[in-house]
Amino acid sequence: MAIRARVASLIRNLTRRQRIERDLDEELRATVEMLADEKVRAGFTPDAARCAALAELGGVESIKEQVRDVRAGAVLDTVGQDVRYAIRLLRRYPLFALTAALSLAVGIGANTAVFTIGKSLLRFSPVAVSDPDRLVDIGRSFDGLPIGFNPGSYPDYLDIRRRTTTLEHVYAHPLFPKDMRVESADGNEKVVGDVVTTNYFAALGAHAAIGRLFSPDESDAQGASPLAVLSHRYWVRSFNADPGIVGQTIRVNRYPVTVIGVTPEGFQGTTVVAVDMWVPMSMVTFVTGAAPAQLDARQGGWVVMGARLKPGASVQQAVADLAGIDRSLRQEYPGQQHPQPFRLLPATPMADKMPLAAAALLLLGAVASTVLVIACANVAGLLIARASGRGREMALRLAVGASRSRLIRQLLTETLLLFAIGAAGGIALARAMTTALMSVLPALPIPVHLSLTLDWRVVALTCSLACVAALLSGLAPALHASRADVSTVLKEEGQGASARLRMRSAFVVAQVALSLVLVFVGGLFTRALQVASSTDAGFDARGVDVASIDASSGVDGNAARLNVAREVLERVRSVPGVTSASMASMLPLANESMGIGLTLPGAVSAPGTSEEVAGNGNVVAPGYFSTLQIPIVVGRDFTDRDVAGAPLVAIVGEAAARRFWPSEDPIGKRLIVNGGSRPGAAIQVIGVVRDIRSRVLDFGTVPFVYLPLSQHDPANLTLLVRSGNGRSVASGVRAAIAGLRTSPQAISIQSLEDVVAVALTPQRVGAFVAGSLGLVGVLLAAIGIYGVTAYTVSRRTREIAIRCALGAHRGTVVRLVIRHALSLTAVGCVIGLVLGAIAGQVLSMLLVGISPLDPPTLVSAVLLCLFIALAGCVVPTMRAVRVAASDALRAE
Amino acid sequence: MTQRASLLQGTLDLLILKALSTGELHGLGVSRRIEQMTGGTFAVQPGSLFPALHRLEESGWLASEWEASENNRRAKYYKLTKAGKRQLGEATEQWNRVALAMTKALEA
Repeated sequence: MAIRARVASLIRNLTRRQRIERDLDEELRATVEMLADEKVRAGFTPDAARCAALAELGGVESIKEQVRDVRAGAVLDTVGQDVRYAIRLLRRYPLFALTAALSLAVGIGANTAVFTIGKSLLRFSPVAVSDPDRLVDIGRSFDGLPIGFNPGSYPDYLDIRRRTTTLEHVYAHPLFPKDMRVESADGNEKVVGDVVTTNYFAALGAHAAIGRLFSPDESDAQGASPLAVLSHRYWVRSFNADPGIVGQTIRVNRYPVTVIGVTPEGFQGTTVVAVDMWVPMSMVTFVTGAAPAQLDARQGGWVVMGARLKPGASVQQAVADLAGIDRSLRQEYPGQQHPQPFRLLPATPMADKMPLAAAALLLLGAVASTVLVIACANVAGLLIARASGRGREMALRLAVGASRSRLIRQLLTETLLLFAIGAAGGIALARAMTTALMSVLPALPIPVHLSLTLDWRVVALTCSLACVAALLSGLAPALHASRADVSTVLKEEGQGASARLRMRSAFVVAQVALSLVLVFVGGLFTRALQVASSTDAGFDARGVDVASIDASSGVDGNAARLNVAREVLERVRSVPGVTSASMASMLPLANESMGIGLTLPGAVSAPGTSEEVAGNGNVVAPGYFSTLQIPIVVGRDFTDRDVAGAPLVAIVGEAAARRFWPSEDPIGKRLIVNGGSRPGAAIQVIGVVRDIRSRVLDFGTVPFVYLPLSQHDPANLTLLVRSGNGRSVASGVRAAIAGLRTSPQAISIQSLEDVVAVALTPQRVGAFVAGSLGLVGVLLAAIGIYGVTAYTVSRRTREIAIRCALGAHRGTVVRLVIRHALSLTAVGCVIGLVLGAIAGQVLSMLLVGISPLDPPTLVSAVLLCLFIALAGCVVPTMRAVRVAASDALRAE
Repeated sequence: MTQRASLLQGTLDLLILKALSTGELHGLGVSRRIEQMTGGTFAVQPGSLFPALHRLEESGWLASEWEASENNRRAKYYKLTKAGKRQLGEATEQWNRVALAMTKALEA
């Protein structure tokens, strides 16, 4: 059997390689001798006969090579040979190996880390969620941006649920999970709770690990279902994984609820925040500060929705379905609906709630790819540089019978080996980077759960990334080297090197350009973070405590609620240490938004028409501006006299004043505000205040309108308290509120700085990673620029030595060499600047507060690149001119 | 000597098998025998001969042994195995069919 013979010889070839090599050698030698014998018989002298025999046979080594190639396992054999040879080479040039492998490790590591983070943020952890690809997120669109959601109202949720033809299991929960307190034997424990409609778990297709989850049959009517579901993590942490907890009653924010079950381990719901407990929507007014009115209010928004596509329905159909519902709702409730249209996107645990995170992730991906490209350019540059040094070796091997394909295979093996080392280093580095990231996260006020494990998909991605990169950066030098023309290269080196030089110059230029982009973008993000985290967000969050207030418990009617609110404010203002206090329906930078539509009286004011300007607003009590230290530019603050019966008044931001009355005094002008609780009414402007950043993605261009609390009865109230001496006044405030007759509740007092910190988290993480990747890029660029320039200079050592020997001034020679390197760098910088400007424009929406062409960042990035390039050529040039001419000439 | 390039793919294997059908030969002997058999029309280059010999040996059609040559040199002698003889029969038959068809086609 041919196959059996083949396998047998494969084994023989692999196990007795030396013996077979010796046989082959002897066989050919015998053939030569027998040929020579023939020639002698034909009359040749023995020497001439031997020569003729060798000539007739052709190259002995070439024949051997051909015989080896037909042998079974030849491929394995040569690969083994190539790998051994490659290892020997790498060990002979450790600096080259180290530089290249390090570059690759960093590039591959950065990509692996970003991919790992991205995967955990943008994809549902599939744990206990069935068919996550059919889930969608629903909200309202975000100021015309392609990503991000404004929250919707509770009636929106009910309407969509009733009217949709393409979705099933439409559920809703607040934009953010809330801090809640669970009473236990040793005091109160602070937990993170999510309030969900009872069909939430059914929509996700989740099942309980113990007990049961909420059933869609359970009512969402207020107070109807006092239940709770615990997360596995919380159950283990606080209840010692005791299954007996099911059926027990616990008190959440003082309200008794019955624990009915525990979610499976790893189940995370639809948010990236690590939720400890889920309570049904029927508890929302009890366990959070939500007023019952919030459940009926069409204005504003506080819930994000989700659903599962009906079988057969596509995302496009669902989007069209929602647009139809939006249109009919606007006709049925003119002026009451949120001005932004509904938006529906495939579900992610993060992108909807934090558009910035998604954008930052895209950016990080781009940055990490750039790092990898730079790393590849580095390695390719080094390989090309080395390939030109190995021209002689290649020519020699071609001359003794190696085929070109064999040489290419050999060079690719070397490259692949490098990349294998790089990939291994990269995976280790990615682990370190994700660990570093995790160590940044616990500093956040809200616990975030990311599963940053490196799974096989990540490793597979890394490996294929390495392979593609290896082929890309190894093939060019390999083809280049194998094209070597035997006779010319062996005769003299350096001829025809100009093409190689051009290629290397192109690499220097590309490397400088890419590095500059990277440094520039990293710098922009760091600057944006600086600006974002500086106190100048237009208000001063330091020393301000905030508390959700439930002013409605035990009272009926708006007037009564307003009285309670006023009473709370009076008492809080008299607490020692409190310098000012106010109330607002929303906090700045707390990821809340009240979408409103603005028109001037007299204009065609149909809601939803192009006459209407989308704006943002807040409902506040007197003293809001002084509490947050927002300057009033002209006019006055609200007072206690701006009551329900008095003329309707408003205070606008400067952007709104510019938008509607560009060249007039806005005081006394009238404005129609749709989406508030007074749709269609003309409201008089009594003041203009400095614009603040009310949301993370504010450009300071959205018209902002403040409305007085006493005329607009918002669904949600938050108390803001400024204390003078930096001492916490939380206990005093709590006591003051507890002393009230109607006993409203202050739920979770926290500092405004913490709230703001949460809002800025994505930017902070983004800046951290972009900054460190930028640094890595600079390092790589430095290595690359240094390596390539240093090599170019070293190739000119002979020329430099001759110039010096002939009496050229050292300074002149140094200038000559440096001028060449710097001109390449300059070209790279110009290209990099253009690319950087484009990148800056693309990212401008993330770069709040700074220009996308921020001059300090730009200048320092350029200077840095120039400095590295200078160092990269000065050091080797200085070395070159110091070498004695005789040494240099001999070295060649 | 003029025909060296036109040795058809596969014919070399057949020629080697045929050359060895009368007895064992070393590499050079195989080359000389083919020249003799074809009246000098085919001269096999060593660069083709040795890989082919090794390939046929790998396939189990040839076996080899080190023996003393006519001049008392140690040489590697190849001979047909049983499988090799069978292969020679099959290949000859196939060659005849092809040759017949080609002749017919060219004369038609």
